[in-house]
Amino acid sequence: MTERIERELWLPTTPEDVWDAVTRDGWLADHVCLDLQPGGDASFESDGRVRNGWIEDVSAPERLTFWWAEDDEPASRVELRIDAHGDSTRLRVVETRPLEMLDLVGMPLPGAGGASYGPALVAA
Amino acid sequence: MTPASSDDRAGKVFGALSDPTRRALLAAIAEHPAATATELASHLPISRQAVLKHLGALTDAGLLDRTRSGREVRYRFTPGPLSDAVDWMTAVGAEWDERLAVLRRRLGGPDGGRSASGSPRRRSPH
Repeated sequence: MTERIERELWLPTTPEDVWDAVTRDGWLADHVCLDLQPGGDASFESDGRVRNGWIEDVSAPERLTFWWAEDDEPASRVELRIDAHGDSTRLRVVETRPLEMLDLVGMPLPGAGGASYGPALVAA
Repeated sequence: MTPASSDDRAGKVFGALSDPTRRALLAAIAEHPAATATELASHLPISRQAVLKHLGALTDAGLLDRTRSGREVRYRFTPGPLSDAVDWMTAVGAEWDERLAVLRRRLGGPDGGRSASGSPRRRSPH
């Protein structure tokens, strides 16, 4: 038992192709809107289910870390790591819900409008 | 129960279970229902004092039910909160499994179909 979800996938393609596939519409959600810069807004919509969040860290085509939450649910943090190994590219996904850390910092959980205080969490 | 309180409890459960000693303790309680701290310490390579500390964390997370009998406190495993945590893990895990399956189909993983990229090397994660 752990508080993390971790997944890994090897793909016979380039990191650039994987980056393109994971950031475009139809993967993280049907409609994905990402302002790809630290602190940038992120929104994800699938079948009327909307998640909002913000970008913690981005370095195309190898690293994307963001937070997302639906309504007033606690946010979770998603890390996507893409790295090339020879002809293959590995995609690693880690989703965590670090509630205790958020409690310690005393910050409201990033829900709607999270971008306004998101970066403060990173600094803390 | 609101989703928020359910999620908050899941966070406590994760915290309580992040420690391997507490996981071993929980397994010992499941195996020896209504055990006392002293009895549990005899099953584990840690002191009664340490057992008491960990029992406190597990009780806070709602994973244990305490009943007093005479001078002793007996502990029982209450798996309810665990299912909240497991529900979250299961739901989020299933979402990622589905996304990765989509990606494999699109970009041609082991079962996927991008023959144009030649003969991809099959790499296993381990």
